[in-house]
Amino acid sequence: MKETIISCSHHSKRMMPQRTGDRERCVTGIDGLDTILYGGIPRANTVLLTGSCGTGKTSLALEFLIHGAIKGENSLFISVTENSEKLLDNIMPYRFFDRGLIKSGKLVFVDLPVMYERLGMTKPEMTMEEIDLLVTAIAGLANELGTKRLVMDSITSVCYKLKTSEKIRDFILKLSKALSDMDVTSILVSEVGAHSATYSMFGVEEAISDGIVLMANMERRGDLLRTLQVIKMRGTTHSRAKYVLDLTPMGVLLVPLLKGGSSGA
Amino acid sequence: MSDTKVSSTVGEQLLELPPSSAISLQMSVDSYLDVLGGMLDQFANKKGMDTIYVTATISSEAIKRVLAALDIDTSRVFFVDCISHIMMGASSVQQDEHATLVESPTMLENIMLKVEYLIRRSEAEHKLVIIDSINSLAIHNNNWILSEFLHILVSGLRARDVYTIILSVEEHSTPEINNMVNLVCDTAIRTGGKEG
Repeated sequence: MKETIISCSHHSKRMMPQRTGDRERCVTGIDGLDTILYGGIPRANTVLLTGSCGTGKTSLALEFLIHGAIKGENSLFISVTENSEKLLDNIMPYRFFDRGLIKSGKLVFVDLPVMYERLGMTKPEMTMEEIDLLVTAIAGLANELGTKRLVMDSITSVCYKLKTSEKIRDFILKLSKALSDMDVTSILVSEVGAHSATYSMFGVEEAISDGIVLMANMERRGDLLRTLQVIKMRGTTHSRAKYVLDLTPMGVLLVPLLKGGSSGA
Repeated sequence: MSDTKVSSTVGEQLLELPPSSAISLQMSVDSYLDVLGGMLDQFANKKGMDTIYVTATISSEAIKRVLAALDIDTSRVFFVDCISHIMMGASSVQQDEHATLVESPTMLENIMLKVEYLIRRSEAEHKLVIIDSINSLAIHNNNWILSEFLHILVSGLRARDVYTIILSVEEHSTPEINNMVNLVCDTAIRTGGKEG
């Protein structure tokens, strides 16, 4: 047997990027995402988390809240389309998730249809007055709970009740201002079609939010990869590269998309 | 050289290396089983390490059968199986707590993600990642993407003090593959090949 020892000086260590800017960060707890954002989401930002179905938006948003609750930040999940109990049953069984967070009130789930009912919003289209009423109710709830992190899943479903661009703009602007004034970092989940050229269903949501995180399914030579890309984030520099993600019991994991075989998609 | 000697020589050489080492281990086809014994029995088990075994050559089930026949303890070996799914043999592996499936060896990012997941899950002080083999991955991927994959994977593992062993089969290797592996590894071990 011939044994050869070869020395190689080519070592490379993964470097953690430095935080930039003066804005305080809301550390998401999702390692890869915090690295992409150079430390986390600037606190009080309203972020549009957008993508087609099955890309992991709800899982990522929920993990953001769970990490917040574990850190002691009161977190609020507003479910628009799915019953919260059903949502919790279907969600990835995270190893770090403790139902005690819900019992202690650190993590609160609210079903928006229940809120609609209590506010008497039964018509298919909201009026401008009802928009104000809804924003006030959500902000009041967040204030009452001492919320520091909020997720609305999905903003698209709310927009269907708003119908016009003016109303959508009005609702998102008022909601994000009210939350931002209370120092709440929020994620608005947005649904788009698989081949959408815009980052939101109505084209308005993306222009108003402070940040856009795009989640997608990318096909490469017959393989379907889940990807994540930060398109914009006010208040911080950030990577604009595409990353591949996996939903695991340890949470969302991210690695860079390899470019050597990319079709350019 | 006897089979036992190959195993123990490989094990001894590996035991001399510090954590974070990236090792290119080139072998002949005939010495595959001895190398397995050297890596897992003489090295990983002796050091009490968890092993993450990325297999792109033969299924995790087949490797487990081989290891059982060699009487090697596999309780701390966790497989990332990149081959069973494309061989339509994934159903039995899905039930195996010690095996995680990647749909195809072309999904290199998913291999990285599964390795990352298993590393995070492991509570062992020291960990070993084995890539079996670079030649099999080269069948399914071009050299550019494979080189990028190795660079990112090995750099990340080295930064976390994880041992990495990249297996290559001498009879199937090319100068391009050897260069690719040498670029990311700091140590090379060659065993069971032609003399001189």
